[in-house]
Amino acid sequence: MPHGRTRTLILTAALVAASFGGGCATVQPWQRGRLADTCMVFDADGSQAAYMTHWQEAREASAGGYGVQGGGCGCK
Amino acid sequence: MTHSHPATSLPYLRRIVMIAFAVEALIASRPSIAASTPRPTPNVEVYTADGVAVKLNDYKGKVVLIDFWASWCPPCKTSFPALDGLYGEYRDRGVEVLAVNLDERRQDADTFLGSHQHRLTVLYDPKGVSPQAFGVKGMPSSFLIDRAGNIRFTHMGYTNNVDSSYRREIAELLSEH
Repeated sequence: MPHGRTRTLILTAALVAASFGGGCATVQPWQRGRLADTCMVFDADGSQAAYMTHWQEAREASAGGYGVQGGGCGCK
Repeated sequence: MTHSHPATSLPYLRRIVMIAFAVEALIASRPSIAASTPRPTPNVEVYTADGVAVKLNDYKGKVVLIDFWASWCPPCKTSFPALDGLYGEYRDRGVEVLAVNLDERRQDADTFLGSHQHRLTVLYDPKGVSPQAFGVKGMPSSFLIDRAGNIRFTHMGYTNNVDSSYRREIAELLSEH
C-alpha cells in the first residue's frame, strides 16, 4: 500500500480525474435559454422571485448577480 | 482508545482537496481575448429567416455592427430597439447592423420579433457557431467591424452608455477610408 507523498499524489490525481469525468459541461452564454426560464429559479414561485428581485434591484440601485439572465452588464 | 492516522486527518484531506481544486483551476483557465486588439472577422455562416446562408465577409466594405442576442436575455431585449434606431440613423451612410439571434428555438425569436417592429437585418445561428468563433463571453455581445473587415470594438452587455459609445465608434470608423 502506498504511503506519504505517493498516496497524496494518487488521491489528488483521482480527485482531479473524478471532477473532470463527472459529466460536467461548460454551458456557453448563448446556451442558457432554458436555464434562464423562471421555472429554473430555486424558489417555489419563480415569477414571484423575479418580481421580488426586480424591486430589490431598484431599491439597491444595482442589478444582476441573480439567476443567469444577466443584468445588462453581460455577466456570465 | 483509537487514534486517527495522520494521513486521514481533516487537515490532510483539506490539503488534498485544495491541491485538486488548484490543479483543476489551472487546467480549466483560458486566456481572455483582448477586446481592443483589431482582428479579422471570423468568416462564419449565419442564416436569414428563410434559411439562406450568409457569410460575414459578404459585408466587407461596410461598417458593420454585429450584435449577438437571444429572446430570453433581458438586456438583449432592451438593446434591440436601440440598435434598430441606430441602424435607421446610420444606414444611409453605409452602416449595417446585423442582429444575430441565438435562440435554440426559432419560435422564441419569432414571438419576440412579432411584437417588435424593426428595420435592421436579423440573422439566425441556433447552433451558436458564430458566437463561438467571435469568442462571446456574455449576452448580449456586440462587435464593430471596419470597412476592411477587422473587429475594432467589442461590447459585452448593454446599458445606455453603450449607445453613446456606438455613436462615437461608428463615427470613427466612418471617417476612415
